[in-house]
Amino acid sequence: MPVLFEASLPKKQSSKKGKSSVKPIPIPVQNAKMNTTPLTAYLMHPNDIRFETQDPDEEVILFMRQHIIVLIPKLILGIIIFFVPFILFPILIQFLQNSVSLPGGYVVVGMVFWYVATFGYFLAMFMQWYFNIFIVTNHRIIDIDFLYFLYKKFAEAKIEKIQDISFRTGGIMATIFNFGDVVIQTAGEMPNLLFEKIPKPSAVVHILSDLTENQPEGGNV
Amino acid sequence: MTPENAGSFVWLGLKLMTIVGIGIYCVFAFVLVRQEQLMSKVLEAQSEKILSVLSWIHLGASIVVLAIAFLIL
Repeated sequence: MPVLFEASLPKKQSSKKGKSSVKPIPIPVQNAKMNTTPLTAYLMHPNDIRFETQDPDEEVILFMRQHIIVLIPKLILGIIIFFVPFILFPILIQFLQNSVSLPGGYVVVGMVFWYVATFGYFLAMFMQWYFNIFIVTNHRIIDIDFLYFLYKKFAEAKIEKIQDISFRTGGIMATIFNFGDVVIQTAGEMPNLLFEKIPKPSAVVHILSDLTENQPEGGNV
Repeated sequence: MTPENAGSFVWLGLKLMTIVGIGIYCVFAFVLVRQEQLMSKVLEAQSEKILSVLSWIHLGASIVVLAIAFLIL
C-alpha cells in the first residue's frame, strides 16, 4: 500500500533530544486511524467505518460528507420555525377568538405537534446530511445518497476506471471554509461521479490522483 | 339542520382532520426510523446509535401527540 499522505509527528514524538535540528520523521497516516463522530465530514483512514458492499481486503482511505457548513441555512430556518409559536400563535388565537372560541385542547395539541414536527425537521435534515456519503477505498470510489427519505442511491467507480479528476470552488462561504465540488470522470459508459460541497477538495483530488497513478495496469491496488 | 348541529359537525370534521393529519405524520416518523435502519446497513458507524435513538424518540413523541389528540380533542 503506497503512502498517500504523510503527517508530521506530534511534538512529544518529534525528537527526544529537543535541541536537535533533525526534522520530525513523517509517519504514514495509516498508523493514525481515527474514529468518526456524528459530525465528521472528512476523515482519512477511519477506524470504525464499514459499508454494505465492502470487500474483506478493501480498506477505506477517505471518508467524506458535505461540509457541515451546508447545514447552517437549514439550521437557521429550523430556529425560526422553533420560535414561530411564540409570535404567531398568540396572534392566531386572538384572531380566532374574535370569530370562534377555539377549545384549549386544540391549542395544546397544536403546540405539542408543532415542536414534535420541528424536531422531525431537524432530524430529517440531519439524516439527509449524515447519510450522503463519499468513500474512497483502495479499490474504488463510492457515492451513497439518501434521497427524499425514501430512496437511496449507490454509485461506484473502480479506481482504474477514473480518467479525469477536477475540482471547483466558488463563493464566499466555499472560500472561507474550504469546500467545493470534486468531479470524477470515468471511462466508458459509467456515470461520472460528483462529490458535492466536500471539505478540502484539493486534498481529495491529490489523494485520488495518487491512487490512480499508483494503480497497476489492469488490476486493483 | 340547526346551527348547533352544524357547529358540532364542523368541530367533528376539524377533530378528524387533526387526527388524520397527525396520523400521517406518525407514518412519516415511522418512515424515518425505517430509513435510518436501512441506511445503517449501508454504512456501519458507531455514531449511528445516537441517530437511531433520536428517530425512535421522534416516533414515540408523534404517537404520544396522536394519543393526546384522541384524548383531549
